[in-house]
Amino acid sequence: MKNLNIIPLIIGLLVFAAQFTFANDKYTEIMQKNIEAAYQAKSVEEFQSLANTFHRIAEAEKTKWEAFYYEAYAYVMMTNLEKDPTKKDTMLDASLKALEAAKALQPGESEMVALDGFIHMMRVTVDPASRGQQYSGMAFQSFNKAVAMNPENPRALALLAQMEFGTAKFFGSSTADACATAAKAVDKFENQKPSSVLSPMWGKNMAQSLKDKCQ
Amino acid sequence: MIRSLLHTSLALLLTFSAGFAQTLISGKVSDEKGEAIPGANVSLKDTYDGASANIDGSFRFSSTEKGKHILVVTFVGYKNYEQAVELTGAPLTLTIQLKETINQLEAVTITAGAFTASDESRRTVFKALDIATTAGATADIAGALNTLPGTQKVGESGRLFVRGGEGNETKTFIDGMVVLDAYGPAAPNTPSRGRFLPFMFKGTSFSTGGYSAEYGQALSSALALDSKDKQEVTRTDLGILSVGGDVSHTQVWDRASLAGKIQYTNIRPYYGLINQEVNWKKPFASLEGSSAYRKEIGKHGMLKAFGNFSTSSFSLYQHDIADPSQKRLLNLDNNYAYANAFYKDQLSEKWIIRGGLSYTNITNDANIEGDNADEKEEGIHTKTVVEGSLSDRVEVKAGAEVITRSYEQVLRSSFFPTARILAFKENVTAVFAEGDVYASNAFVTRVGVRAEHNSLLNEVSVDPRISLGYKLNTNGQFSLAYGNFRQSPKNDWLKLNNNLQQEKAQHYIANYQYISNNRTFRVETYYKAYEDLVKFTTGQEELSSNNGKGYAKGLEFFWRDNQSIDNVDYWVSYSYLDTKRDYLNYPNEVMPSFASEHNFSFVYKHFVSKLKTQFGATYSYSSPRPFNNPNESTFMDGRTPAYHDLSINISYLPKSNVIVYASCTNILGRENIFGYEYAATPDVNGVYAARAIRQPARNFLFLGVFITLSKDKGMNMLPSL
Repeated sequence: MKNLNIIPLIIGLLVFAAQFTFANDKYTEIMQKNIEAAYQAKSVEEFQSLANTFHRIAEAEKTKWEAFYYEAYAYVMMTNLEKDPTKKDTMLDASLKALEAAKALQPGESEMVALDGFIHMMRVTVDPASRGQQYSGMAFQSFNKAVAMNPENPRALALLAQMEFGTAKFFGSSTADACATAAKAVDKFENQKPSSVLSPMWGKNMAQSLKDKCQ
Repeated sequence: MIRSLLHTSLALLLTFSAGFAQTLISGKVSDEKGEAIPGANVSLKDTYDGASANIDGSFRFSSTEKGKHILVVTFVGYKNYEQAVELTGAPLTLTIQLKETINQLEAVTITAGAFTASDESRRTVFKALDIATTAGATADIAGALNTLPGTQKVGESGRLFVRGGEGNETKTFIDGMVVLDAYGPAAPNTPSRGRFLPFMFKGTSFSTGGYSAEYGQALSSALALDSKDKQEVTRTDLGILSVGGDVSHTQVWDRASLAGKIQYTNIRPYYGLINQEVNWKKPFASLEGSSAYRKEIGKHGMLKAFGNFSTSSFSLYQHDIADPSQKRLLNLDNNYAYANAFYKDQLSEKWIIRGGLSYTNITNDANIEGDNADEKEEGIHTKTVVEGSLSDRVEVKAGAEVITRSYEQVLRSSFFPTARILAFKENVTAVFAEGDVYASNAFVTRVGVRAEHNSLLNEVSVDPRISLGYKLNTNGQFSLAYGNFRQSPKNDWLKLNNNLQQEKAQHYIANYQYISNNRTFRVETYYKAYEDLVKFTTGQEELSSNNGKGYAKGLEFFWRDNQSIDNVDYWVSYSYLDTKRDYLNYPNEVMPSFASEHNFSFVYKHFVSKLKTQFGATYSYSSPRPFNNPNESTFMDGRTPAYHDLSINISYLPKSNVIVYASCTNILGRENIFGYEYAATPDVNGVYAARAIRQPARNFLFLGVFITLSKDKGMNMLPSL
């Protein structure tokens, strides 16, 4: 029964291996959990806490762009819920900083260029009168660039539609272009094929509600 | 046997898990005053473990890590905090205090004397866009700034007259580089316009006193314009104006942009429609071009080059005061070229260097029926500044500059065959250093010194400048400023007497500012002492000395509200000025003719989204100004009527890339009189004949259509107006 003596060793190794694979997959698992939470978050505090979590993960991993990307996402979404213009800018600064870190790890990613545009778009809301011109131009440019980099990116299209819709409404001109972009975005959302489980998936509701407004 | 083995394995497994026993880490994060910092990020370095602080600053998390680790606490606006911890399984309770970083956005700023306009920072009271949309200003920088406290309306000049100072006491700087003669030419007693259009700048800092040691050769005021960085969008703009037209194009590359603009102005069609005080032969016409190149170099470097040229001319009949049927033809040709190059780069994380070179060339040829006055002025300015932080509480800047100026006027007359030449050449070499010391986010002291050597006047000077700011609470702050300022005398006097000294002024300023929720309140009081002003020894300008002196003191209020009424933005300025001077040909100390005791402005802007139109109105008031009536025995005893002006403007945005703009000054049609001119000699009855100095036209009506063409939608020229 000598050979049975190795059973504890095997079990021990298995346990060890489990710990190890857990360690390797811990990133994906924790990211998935927090990304899900970020899609559900409804308050500044929740977003702040998630941004902090993503920041910790990003700092620990050092090579994973997604953690920085979602930190940037959490900050930009937080701006939507904040009223104080000074705080809005602080959040957008934090978002941009995280996004720059993500870009450095993964250059040439359409998703990040779209998020860049999102940040510019939110800058406009801080002081539309004096920032509208500069930042709406920059937002348009980023969205168009993101679409050019990846025509299948539904978020870039949804944000572009949003911007076109707002501009058309303001000037009382036809929203036909905006609505066409929104419809295209919804279509792309339905057929989006994420390259990994951590790929961005947000934005469908935004495109859908805009499309609904068009009808 | 197998069972026992399984037991062993289980035991082993349990041991393994015991190895992953958790350490509970909890505590509280607060600032130096003991206030909780909710949202602070607490983490174990290089692990996922951590937590965010709750609303009361408390945090709690557990970690399976073992042994020595570093706990990191971060939050925006505070310095990163690190502490070594040892995880043993025993609970850890930590009290963490974060130190605030001195944050430019939150920190106190020195506001004494300063009005800054910027699109970036919200803490400014005046925005670049305000310049474009202020009724009555017709998109002229000086015109818009004239609605702020500290300025006196001098309608026949168009320049900025600040706190009892003459128009030339305000100096304009672009990216820190001096601009000689920032105003275009104008007929005698008609207002001139600034040469630089507001759309070129991302920030404007208008200081009515107590400014930085970086700015020299300005006695009363410094207008610092910060040009835009690299443009982001390729676009073409067209403007069709009632007085001409312009076309501009901006081309954008990855790391550079180039913008060019050509503008033609001819007021003949306009003057044909509206009766003018001025008897023009050939009304003012000009061709103006400007171009701006921006290039990002390396990681942080930015090169800016800017050029502006203009050529303008007009001719008009000057009527004799005593006998208006006698007239003389005045021809004027003015050429202006300005170029500047500016470079800024980071030396290290904390230090930046910036420097530049500017060149100005002006020729101004005036001809009055055979009498010629040909003027030429050339200036070169070079400057290098290093600035950075010694620590997060001490910021310093130091620099050196050389301003070389040469001036020559050639006078020819039919009576004197040999030309008379009046000229001077001046070299001003200066070094300056300035430090901002933050005791906290609430208290800052700025100490600066400027040393200058002037080759022409052979003068070495050292001028101290000190200011401080104290933030009482989130919204209110106090500032004080003191400084010595000097400036070479006007070209008009310097060319006649190269032995003059610089004119001097001392400023003392106290300011309180309250900004909350898009409402701003400011009150400022000051005292300014003038010394060494140019004075004519015999009443004739040929013989002069620096024996003149004077003072100015005043109280100013500013209120702006962009909040109380939806889509309405308005501001109110009031300035009280008490000033007297004994200079030039004045026999004693009196209030000068460009000064007025009370100045009031009310600016109103209302955006009606339904009509996609912004309506604007500006009302300006100036109390009577002194003038000297040679028929009276007391010098400068006359007073003009008060000045009133109500101007309106409308901007309509029919499409996202089209703006229709209309403005009209003085809609009430008031006959404003700025002063009186008198005949040089008395008539047969011993009376000097008088003529009022009036507005060149009762109204100035301006219409324009601006179209922007770009690949990206949603662009318009609103800020360029």
